[in-house]
Amino acid sequence: MSGAIILAMRLLLAFALYGFLGWALWTLWRDIQKQGAALANRRIPGIHLTIRHGQNTPFQKKFNQPEITLGRDPGCDIPLTDDTVSTRHAQLTYHHNQWWLEDLSSTNGTLLNQITITMPTVLTAGDEIQCGDTRLIINLSTNTLVSPTQRLEKRT
Amino acid sequence: MHDKTQSLLLRWAAFFLFIQSTILTLSPAVRERTWDVDYRFAHWAGLLVWAVLMTAAHRATIKYLPERDPYLLPSAALLSGWGMLTIWRLDEEFGIRQSIWLGVCIIIFILALYAQQKIILFLRRYKYILLSGGLLITALTLLFGTNPLGIGPRLWLGCCGVYFQPSEPLKLLLVIYLSAYLADHVNIHLSSLPLLVPTLVVTGLALLLLLVQHDLGTASIFVSIFTIAIFLYTGKRRVLLSAALFLISTLIIGYFWVAIIHIRVDGWINPWADPSGKSYQIVQSLLAVANGGIIGRGIGIGSPLLVPVAISDFIFAAIAEEAGLIGTLGLLTLIWLILARGLTASLRAPDRFRRNLAAGIVTYLGSQSILIIGGNLRLLPLTGVTLPFVSYGGSSLLTSFAALFLLLSISNVEDNEPAPIENSTPYALLAGILSTGLMALALTSAWWAIVRAPDLLNRTDNPRRSIIDRYVPRGELLDRNNQPINITEGESGNYERAYLYPDLASVTGYTHIVYGQAGAEAALDDYLRGLQGNPPSLVWLDHLLYGTPPPGLDVRLSLSLALQSKADQLLGGHTGAIILINAETGEILVMASHPTYDPNRLSEEGAALAQNQSAPLMNRATQGLYPIGTTMLPLIRAKFGESQPTDAELNLYYQKLGLFQEPALNLPVAYDTTNKTVEKLKVSPLQLALAAALLSHDGIIPAPRFATAVNTPEQGWVVLSTKGKPIEILPPEMANTAAQSFIKPGKSYWNHVGQASLEDNITTWLLAGTLPDWKGAPLGLVVTLEENNTFLANYIGDTLLNAALNQ
Repeated sequence: MSGAIILAMRLLLAFALYGFLGWALWTLWRDIQKQGAALANRRIPGIHLTIRHGQNTPFQKKFNQPEITLGRDPGCDIPLTDDTVSTRHAQLTYHHNQWWLEDLSSTNGTLLNQITITMPTVLTAGDEIQCGDTRLIINLSTNTLVSPTQRLEKRT
Repeated sequence: MHDKTQSLLLRWAAFFLFIQSTILTLSPAVRERTWDVDYRFAHWAGLLVWAVLMTAAHRATIKYLPERDPYLLPSAALLSGWGMLTIWRLDEEFGIRQSIWLGVCIIIFILALYAQQKIILFLRRYKYILLSGGLLITALTLLFGTNPLGIGPRLWLGCCGVYFQPSEPLKLLLVIYLSAYLADHVNIHLSSLPLLVPTLVVTGLALLLLLVQHDLGTASIFVSIFTIAIFLYTGKRRVLLSAALFLISTLIIGYFWVAIIHIRVDGWINPWADPSGKSYQIVQSLLAVANGGIIGRGIGIGSPLLVPVAISDFIFAAIAEEAGLIGTLGLLTLIWLILARGLTASLRAPDRFRRNLAAGIVTYLGSQSILIIGGNLRLLPLTGVTLPFVSYGGSSLLTSFAALFLLLSISNVEDNEPAPIENSTPYALLAGILSTGLMALALTSAWWAIVRAPDLLNRTDNPRRSIIDRYVPRGELLDRNNQPINITEGESGNYERAYLYPDLASVTGYTHIVYGQAGAEAALDDYLRGLQGNPPSLVWLDHLLYGTPPPGLDVRLSLSLALQSKADQLLGGHTGAIILINAETGEILVMASHPTYDPNRLSEEGAALAQNQSAPLMNRATQGLYPIGTTMLPLIRAKFGESQPTDAELNLYYQKLGLFQEPALNLPVAYDTTNKTVEKLKVSPLQLALAAALLSHDGIIPAPRFATAVNTPEQGWVVLSTKGKPIEILPPEMANTAAQSFIKPGKSYWNHVGQASLEDNITTWLLAGTLPDWKGAPLGLVVTLEENNTFLANYIGDTLLNAALNQ
């Protein structure tokens, strides 16, 4: 008799152990889902670039992604046919609600408003970037970040 | 959200530990199969300490670390509570100590939370002082080191009953130093001096210290911590490769030069070579895992104390035995959860120092867990390190909680912008390595607990069988009139075998915790232990519920105690054997072998008995082999009459009589396997008794019977079948004629005394039996004396046959 009661408790014990693990993994999975949904809802303000190389006609490009690379490599988001530009020259990234400019160890360096940058630098509208002989004028969209309203969590 | 998750998980952990404690309280009732036992309550004090302080720790983390990872604290709480209850179960004195240590650790943990920001900065700033201090204190153990157990490596510093092992926190100090150094020096290339010199010097110094101390487990953890730190920093896989080569070559060199490595590696490669000596620990550990099986025996119901140092190094084996594969898989998943969350915290860390630190702590916790569990499961060579959070030990627990504190405060980031990372591949690879390691441990657990378990548990050196015998009554051995011979005395928990007729010792044998089993006790073990004869469903159910077989079954032997005692009296102090057999049914009525011994005194005399020149442990009636000389005359006369048979004819005849074969009897028997010629052949008294029986029973050799029936719970006494079959050797007339020609004058039986000598040892044989016209049960008798004494042989034969025929 004692054996049967204890057997039931041993099974309950296994249930408790896997209850802990199951609950942990379930909340983890839910966390990932929520995070994914939050990221999917994140809007990135568009960025307009006016690109001019030497005497060529300037052209405009608009982007809605958080990372923009520019360089001579055709795989770059802004491919440049300029011999003074490195293969992967510089990168524009959006984080902390800002657009940042970062030099990717290019040969001739990246200039922002005539000043060589050594670290990621925040961009504002009207800034001028110079990579080799190419110049880019920044024009930021006016629409700001809009994310869906979330229900307040009860803090216990 | 975080707080809710953490609180719910802590409640699950508390629920788990509550059930565990309840089972432990009730476990004596299951062991002894009665409610009238002393229940275990002491461990509830430990659980209370755990519950109160964990609640406080939970509140403190909510207050001081609002954005911490919610999985780390509950997982560590569950592991440390589980370990503490296991220690309570193994040894209550150490349970008290572990509860106190756990209380101290949690209180320090809570106090550290007050100052958590400052602590991280402090660690980074004073890395050199901290590590040198750690090394210095560890070095002190070379001078003042002791071992709390009195034997083994002296790795502890002790005073006033409190012992501290400095090499435990040293691991964490190394992690802190490496993290801070590598965070302070950005963009150094692998193989450049600034990277390698300070780190290598410091790590090498620590390694040297540990090698001098023979603390090999900690040394290998140091190598892993250093390697992973450099690997994460540089991202070069050749770092891992060279570290692996270094470890393997150290192992090979150490195998030839360092005694302890030699022992450990030998015990790892082939533990079965020396299971009672050098690889005793690992074999016992595997037996414990095997005994746990899939669902485990239940806490308090297994026998994990058989594994040496079960409270610290082998706590995984103790948990595996009582929680089973289900439990160990859960345990491994818990460790995985801590490591995975730790790595997540590392990747989310806001600066390099915290990132390195978290990754280093994960490496330390992961490599130490894999190393010791792998050692328990024979996946890796055995090294004496503790299982973090679980094993007994203040230093180990304190270091584990310090690691937990650091991981929790690193995970507490409000800004969702982690420091940039140059190359994330090494982190993914580290996660892969640790997960693969834990997966390998899970598979190895399953291998021992399921695939290899039946073989392991049937090993004769599995002490669980003897322990079970103390709790489950063993069946009795009875004579043909149900008079007890060997019985079980005492109460559950103290059952002991009592041998009421010690003169039969070399025949019926013994069952003993040290000396194993012999004779009929060994041959009939499955019935006496209840594994055979009971319905398989009952055997299965009892194993599931109690981890033991059902109560054993009584076995009735063919022996007649009245005649047996007469035979033992007659043989007295002479060396030899007597067999009296029913020539028709093959039932052995008397089987005496002298000298004999008292199995009730086996514990005191066992070792001396095994060395005794006159071999009292041997059953001479079935295992003694003697030359036959002139003894075969009646049997030769029966077949060949007065003519002289050739050797070839004789050889063929002996073969038919079964003198070259093993007798089909369920007892330890022997037969001559080396001499295949008629002149040199040696036979056992049993072989000759069976052959001679044909003269008393119409030329037929009976199938011998010793165990005749077993008392099953469902059908009562069930007759046991014989192993062999009766064989017709001669036509009845030929056998009868021969018997008549050896008739003893004035008596109703035939007899013949023969002698044989070999290397100055003379054996005297007597063959006798009833005459063909005897109306009662036909009998055959063999007396063997290891001396030249035809008078005694005749006297024994006459007296015994008279007694048997006049019954």
